[in-house]
Amino acid sequence: MKRNILRKIIGGISLTSVMFVFQACYGTPQDFGFDLLVQGQVKSKTSGLPIKGIKVSVVNNMQYEMTDEEGRFSFYTERFGSLKLRFQDIDSTENGLYINKDTILTDLDRNVYLAIDLEEK
Amino acid sequence: MLSSVKKYVFRKFRDSETKRHELNYLFWECTTRCNLNCLHCGSDCSKDSLHPDMPAEDFLKAIDTIKNIPQNFTVVFTGGEPLLRKDIEFCGKELRKRGFKWSIVSNGHLYDKERHISLLNAGIGALTISLDGLKESHNWLRNNEKNFDKVINAIELASSSHRINFDIVTCVNQRNINELQQIRELLISKNAKAWRLFTIIPIGRAAHNSDLLLTDNQFVQLMDFIVECRKSKEIDVKFSCEGYVGKYESLVRDSYFFCRAGINIGSILIDGSISACPNIDRTFSQGNIYTDNFYEVWKDKFQVFRNRKWTKIGQCESCKDFKDCLGNGFHNWHGGKKNVLVCHNEKIEKNAKN
Repeated sequence: MKRNILRKIIGGISLTSVMFVFQACYGTPQDFGFDLLVQGQVKSKTSGLPIKGIKVSVVNNMQYEMTDEEGRFSFYTERFGSLKLRFQDIDSTENGLYINKDTILTDLDRNVYLAIDLEEK
Repeated sequence: MLSSVKKYVFRKFRDSETKRHELNYLFWECTTRCNLNCLHCGSDCSKDSLHPDMPAEDFLKAIDTIKNIPQNFTVVFTGGEPLLRKDIEFCGKELRKRGFKWSIVSNGHLYDKERHISLLNAGIGALTISLDGLKESHNWLRNNEKNFDKVINAIELASSSHRINFDIVTCVNQRNINELQQIRELLISKNAKAWRLFTIIPIGRAAHNSDLLLTDNQFVQLMDFIVECRKSKEIDVKFSCEGYVGKYESLVRDSYFFCRAGINIGSILIDGSISACPNIDRTFSQGNIYTDNFYEVWKDKFQVFRNRKWTKIGQCESCKDFKDCLGNGFHNWHGGKKNVLVCHNEKIEKNAKN
């Protein structure tokens, strides 16, 4: 701990805090890690069975993912104060017909898990 | 006076970092396949690599030997062209599960909207894309008439995401040295925030093409261009950490020159070799993940990187700047290692005399 503080002081005097956030010649910049993991499962409200092929998207953002065989989804997305997710049935009757749903998440200090039920049309 | 004190304290800081030898940055040469055939390629990559891609599980097994994950530890996927692998997203998610960050160095050719989304979903945090000139000069160097348009598309996508910390790198050469101002304006118009400028060192294919190498006068022109750009905040322009640049040190980068290869930067190369930056002569490899424990090699070896006194040979032997330069970037030691391949400061000083 003491050594870390000393290290920062010396680095600071010699130049700036960038000493600790360096970048290799042929490498990328550092990742500052402003994201969170959103994961969950989508089920039918009527049958309780998982729904495959639901598009889970971040509203006002190009990110989306499709639910798998078990209705599961998992993706990282940028951390904001709040996050609006949209669950859409886009495959017509292929995996049943469901009404779309929006969910707004707040208090995003950590990763979230969502259990989503969709109503049948 | 203040500058001398800063330099002195910086040298102490560098010594302390060297002694500490913390692994903060790990390159994974995940493939040597490449979809381009660039004129300046230092790795002599090709479409049909001699080496098969390293299986993800082999890499992850090596990674799992790391004890006490250092702060800001990042894995950088490099190649060849990493996006030729279909399992980059899988690897990325596995790294995130372990608490590691990850990023990619790409030529941008395969970086389309769908890939951008899948990489974001998998937790990518940083990206570097190469742009080597305006359309004609870029496509010439990249040896591909479509690459410029694809790179511009990749830059637009990366710029659209606040999540990705990304920068553009440009290898400055005879064809693009007089386009730099236009490239800068192009990048600003695409909302790019950071631009790093390199020169090309005469290794790989570049060793045989004089069009790629700058004259001493052009090198100083490049330094002066960067100094001028850094007066404006529109885009963060800097010289790469490829070498020591004497009187320009505090003017072209955020910090003094410090080659961290093998000090904070390690790599796992395509054949499992454990080394530092991938462009370093492969005879410097310190072990192999298929026969050694990766993290033990990192902790216990790498002396040749941590003590650079052996580089005080050839023209470095009598150099007055050796204590600040320590033999320049480590990738400048190739072959017999009897002399540094490129001395950036020599270019500057020669130009000043003429």
